[in-house]
Amino acid sequence: MIIAFAFLAGMTLVSALGVVLSRSVVHSALFMSGSFLGVAGFFVMLNAPALATLQVLIYVGAVTVVILFGIMFTQRPQVRRYRTIINRQIWPGLFVALGVGAFLAYVLTVQDWTGTEPGNGLRSVADLGNTLLGVGGAPPIFGLLFEVASVLLLVAMIAAIVVSRRRTGEGVDRGVEE
Amino acid sequence: MPPQLQPYVQQGLDVVNQTIPLEGYLIVAAIMFAIGAWGALIRRNAVVVFMCIELMINAVNLTLVGFSDYLPGADGAGAGYAVLVIAVAAAEVAVGLAIVLAVYRSRKTVNVDEINLMKW
Amino acid sequence: MTSVGQQLIIAAIPVLPALVFVVLALFGRYLGESAQYVAIFGVATSLVFSAFSLYFVIRAQTPIDFAVNWIDLGPGGSFPMGIYVDGLAAVMLVVVCFVSLMIQLYSGAFMQDDSRFAWYYAVLNLFTASMLGLVVAPSFIELYVFWELVGLCSYLLIGHWFEKPSAAKAAQKAFIVTRIGDAALFVGIIMFWREAGTTSFQGITEAAQAGFIGGSLFTTAVILVFVGAIGKSAQFPLHVWLPDAMEGPTPVSALIHAATMVAAGVYLVARTYDIFVQSPAAMLVVAYIGGFTALMAATMALTKKDIKRVVAYSTVSQLGYMMLALGIGSYTAGIFHLYNHAFFKALLFLGAGSIIYAINSYNLTEMGGLRRRMPITFWTMVVAGLSLAGIFPLSGFWSKDAILAATYEQHFYVLYGMVLLTVFLTAFYIFRAIFMAFTGEPRSEGARNATESPGIMTGPMVLLALLSVVSGWVGIPALFGAPEGGFFERIVQPSALANETLALEGHEFSIALAIVSTIVALLGVGLAYLLYVREPERATSLARRFAPVYNFLDDGWYFDALYERVFVRPAMALGRATNVFDRRAIGGLVSGVGRGTGGIGERLRRLQTGGAQNYALFILLSVLVIGVIVGAQYTVLVIGLIALITLVTVAVGARL
Repeated sequence: MIIAFAFLAGMTLVSALGVVLSRSVVHSALFMSGSFLGVAGFFVMLNAPALATLQVLIYVGAVTVVILFGIMFTQRPQVRRYRTIINRQIWPGLFVALGVGAFLAYVLTVQDWTGTEPGNGLRSVADLGNTLLGVGGAPPIFGLLFEVASVLLLVAMIAAIVVSRRRTGEGVDRGVEE
Repeated sequence: MPPQLQPYVQQGLDVVNQTIPLEGYLIVAAIMFAIGAWGALIRRNAVVVFMCIELMINAVNLTLVGFSDYLPGADGAGAGYAVLVIAVAAAEVAVGLAIVLAVYRSRKTVNVDEINLMKW
Repeated sequence: MTSVGQQLIIAAIPVLPALVFVVLALFGRYLGESAQYVAIFGVATSLVFSAFSLYFVIRAQTPIDFAVNWIDLGPGGSFPMGIYVDGLAAVMLVVVCFVSLMIQLYSGAFMQDDSRFAWYYAVLNLFTASMLGLVVAPSFIELYVFWELVGLCSYLLIGHWFEKPSAAKAAQKAFIVTRIGDAALFVGIIMFWREAGTTSFQGITEAAQAGFIGGSLFTTAVILVFVGAIGKSAQFPLHVWLPDAMEGPTPVSALIHAATMVAAGVYLVARTYDIFVQSPAAMLVVAYIGGFTALMAATMALTKKDIKRVVAYSTVSQLGYMMLALGIGSYTAGIFHLYNHAFFKALLFLGAGSIIYAINSYNLTEMGGLRRRMPITFWTMVVAGLSLAGIFPLSGFWSKDAILAATYEQHFYVLYGMVLLTVFLTAFYIFRAIFMAFTGEPRSEGARNATESPGIMTGPMVLLALLSVVSGWVGIPALFGAPEGGFFERIVQPSALANETLALEGHEFSIALAIVSTIVALLGVGLAYLLYVREPERATSLARRFAPVYNFLDDGWYFDALYERVFVRPAMALGRATNVFDRRAIGGLVSGVGRGTGGIGERLRRLQTGGAQNYALFILLSVLVIGVIVGAQYTVLVIGLIALITLVTVAVGARL
């Protein structure tokens, strides 16, 4: 278990760092999907395989692709100097991020977690489904949340189309520049 | 396997097989969140900022699912919330990238620093 | 006991002119020149009522006394508003109303083309009302209220032509100098009130008698009250405002600075006589200041070229006479002189006004030969001059002589000498002025073309001239066939208490002293005749020869220069310093707050960098800070650390 945990943790965190520090945008995207895979592995360890599947399908599958599309449309050449990709907030940002991380870690670990045992997670898809719909022992609010989420997805779809449509008079995207 | 090594192997297996404490997952999630936050503050490219935001969301999901597995009274609600979070995040990516494309079209740049009309 | 009808009549005396003031102040703009009729109606009615009150008091032989509760805070804090009219007050009421009426008639012509005609009449009536209120006051507080009002009206009237800077300055000077007196008066009032628990004259007298008020404290309080009288009556050393007050219109000078306001000081001493007599030291102070002032002012009048200033100094001098009389215990003589003086002094001013109206100049060197051109003015001025000089049998003679005789007979020989010398000087300066103005050849274009003034001006003058002759006859002593002590003494005499305390011996009328004073006066007239009719060049050559003396007298014994150096300049410097402090320090503080806020705002504005990541940084930082503060165990250490990080972050972040 520990080996798996250590490996997954390393993969996730290194990939996260890769997202932030990579000089190429595409490399960042790929690091991101690596990080997603690590998290999927964690989900498996946490007795939520259905969720792990969803994670891979949606994040690694859909989100990464969408982001790659976005990169493609807003292409920037790979740069040589870090100055070009990193703004001036690097050190303050580091301090603040470290602070936040430390604070979170502190808050989460200072709690008394005795008596918790792994194994309470939902192991079957059916259980996950029941939970999502708010039936069968799960908080009933999930029903509403499920419906709201679907509406949200519809709205987001429409919004994305509306925001990014080409208005009359705007020039055609020329694609690659420089 | 030589029987003299049995106790050592057993010890090693015990060590290897012991349950991961909840704090472990939580700390990993915290670190991932911190890295994502740092990246969101640091990078000039708007798309990369997006990616870092996704990292942060995933860290949260990890925490939620961790709780859902370890806490007895939750009935797996954490995982349910995690699903909903994934849905919302996906929606957000869609709209966000649409905005980035629109901005790119009008200003020919995705450099966050150059979008500062609200400057004094 | 007085009936309600009588009370109303007497209460109406000061109220009517006050109402006229309100009416004219509000509607003067629409009334214009007809404001004078409203005013004259008011004062005439008050005059009739004053005559009534005199009649009541004479017939009833007791004073009229009633009051209403104004402020009552319990024992020691009760301040009623009341009216107290005895012989003294009744006489004063009649005098004030009469002179005010004459002045208001006269002003109709004199102030004809003035742009603020109605306002002039309004303030004139407010003044009359205040003076009448002062006269009937039975307590110090009520007196002080009207005292201040009178001072205010004097300021407003002196400064009536405030476009002239000299007039504005003169008004200020009058107000400030009398203020000094007023402040002393107020302190005196407080002292009395504290010791006696009341401010009514009667109450304080009784308290003093019963010994509630200690010796030196009592004398100090009495002298402080007298200082107030010094201020209002322009005695030494607060006399400097009266000559400058001549910047006001001449009728104002006639009313206020001849007959009424300046008499307020004398009236105060007379009204509180029962208190004064209990302090022999204070009485001496009063007498000597009065005598000295009389002599000093007479010397200052000798060299003046401005006819109004000659008369002004004359007023100061005559007031000195009155104070002297009161100080040595001759209450009746002092008040008698006050009463006579009101008439002939007002007449002298009105005559001067008539000349000014005719030739548009007040400078004696530009007059001359007006005798044939302005006969009425000439003869009335001569009558007034003779009365002032104290020539038998005009009114001035009887009262002046009474004072002189009293001074001699009570063994105040130094004072007698001073006063006798003053008689000489008085006669001299007034006839110097009259001769310079009316005899000889005209010395200027204006004088050549002078004509007599209109009837509404000469009418009052003639009336006052008549009074200047006969008003004294009510005080003719027994020797000449009138009842013992004369009519006047029956009406106006000190209370039994005062008489007891003073324990003066009665005196028969002394022919010898009368002859002495008349001769001295005639000598003065003669000298004036010599120097200004017969050989005018002698006057100028004498002036040149004794130039330092001449300048000393002409510059008012250099009092103005002295006060200017010692008081005015430091005060002005203090004023300027305070102004600078106010503008720079306090103003700077106030605008500094504004500028500081602006500056901080200017700096804080740099936080708006427009960069979303910048804002995100600040947000995260704030969340971190809040979280740590809420949850921290080692608060101080953590807060310090947070502060450090925050500062660094902000500093870096804001420079983006």
